[in-house]
Amino acid sequence: MFNNAAIIGVGQSAYTRRPEPGQSTHTFIRDAVVAALKDAELDAAEVQGMAVTSFSLAPDTAVDLAWKLGLSLRWLLQDTNGGSSAMNMLGHALRGVEMGAASPILIVAGDATGLAGYAKLASNYNIATREHLAPLGHGGPNGVYALVASRQMKKYGLEKSDYGHIAVSQRAWAAGNPYAVYRAPMTMDEYLAAPLVADPLSRYDCVPVIAGAQAIVVAHPDRAPKKRPGVRVRAIRHSFNYDNQSGDGLQTGISTFANELWQSAGVRPDDIDLASIYDDYPTMVLAQLNDLGLVPGNDLARFCRSEIAERTFPVNTFGGMMSAGQPGGPAGGLNGIAEAVLQLQHRAGERQVKDARLAVATGYGMTMYRYGGTAGAAILERAP
Amino acid sequence: MTPGVGIWRCTKCRTGFFPQPLLCARCHNDRFETDRVHDAVVEEISVIRHMLGQENWQPRRIASVRTSDGQLITVGLTGEAGPGATIELYQEENAPFGRDKT
Ligand SMILES: [Zn+2]
Repeated sequence: MFNNAAIIGVGQSAYTRRPEPGQSTHTFIRDAVVAALKDAELDAAEVQGMAVTSFSLAPDTAVDLAWKLGLSLRWLLQDTNGGSSAMNMLGHALRGVEMGAASPILIVAGDATGLAGYAKLASNYNIATREHLAPLGHGGPNGVYALVASRQMKKYGLEKSDYGHIAVSQRAWAAGNPYAVYRAPMTMDEYLAAPLVADPLSRYDCVPVIAGAQAIVVAHPDRAPKKRPGVRVRAIRHSFNYDNQSGDGLQTGISTFANELWQSAGVRPDDIDLASIYDDYPTMVLAQLNDLGLVPGNDLARFCRSEIAERTFPVNTFGGMMSAGQPGGPAGGLNGIAEAVLQLQHRAGERQVKDARLAVATGYGMTMYRYGGTAGAAILERAP
Repeated sequence: MTPGVGIWRCTKCRTGFFPQPLLCARCHNDRFETDRVHDAVVEEISVIRHMLGQENWQPRRIASVRTSDGQLITVGLTGEAGPGATIELYQEENAPFGRDKT
């Protein structure tokens, strides 16, 4: 439990499929920073630390961004863990604030790769991908997770429509998120009729690549705007390269720390009011929920058909990246954290989960060869 | 085209790896000798039907396979082999492929 550090503000840029001329990774990041500082009622001059992650900031690095934002800092971090970067930066920032290294710390992530930039990134993700996967025409992450999805369907007796419940229910949540790129309701028939991309994955199983940015502010809880308590983090854990890519990918790194996470937080899976689960693919949403112990009896099929389909357990109430859009994994992961904060502060508008008090958020990323190798999770709490 | 797929075998515990490691994940030895595996069993298959940025993409098959030496690798699949079939491995530069066993 962090007693002297809390999330005190969140902000995001517009999300868009096609950036206009003049819009870039840098301008989306700026827009998110401005929004988060305004939300936290902070002046930019007060910021002491910054953590940033992006697939498309290069050749600039964190210090260039600090310069361009006019921020003189005593704490600076650039993270490279993709979908779990946001969770990783949150951990570092909480510890940084708690220990007095810097406060407030701004955490920011954004991308505007464009489709061509994304295609290039997907085939040059790391040396293993460039040398051993891209020459097969593996289709980037879609091909990788198609194989993981087949394995999951076989192991847990899942039907294609079980993944559909995730896509359809997240789309229903997205209707309440003005920033989501896809907000029109989707039916199961529409989901099932979508063209296959990489069997068994079809269009609505694959996260849409968009441009945008997210930012949050971590500081001492006393710095939170009046009448709006900060959100506390009861526990946070991370895992990197948990199994040397030698397993089936149906468990994530979260499985290595889930028990410790709950124990440290002093709460149980039953106590959770909502979950922000990193959703690059429905397959990985189920894997992470299962690792966290949120799926009774590990019965993934039943969970999809009941809790998810009926929306009795709120998962990805901002629509998830699958409906809100994925501005690169880094900002996508931060979106889930920001949503948990809004929900716990009862500021989520028409998508508000009634009386939300406790949330779990995850990150999952870095498809090294056969599946992702990084993961993180946090238990967030509405301050009493 | 080279028959088989090149793997890296730890000189101490004899575990074989693909892709190439720096230290053995099992015993953390730093010496490897190269070896080749020729057979694998198909576990899961996908058909890549769309490729970002490609206009005239022809669908192609990939598979997750378990080699006769135990490595789990992803191959391009030529021929008709389905899950459970034993395939013959070959390599185009650094990329592993599999085809129906003759
Ligand atoms: Zn060894």
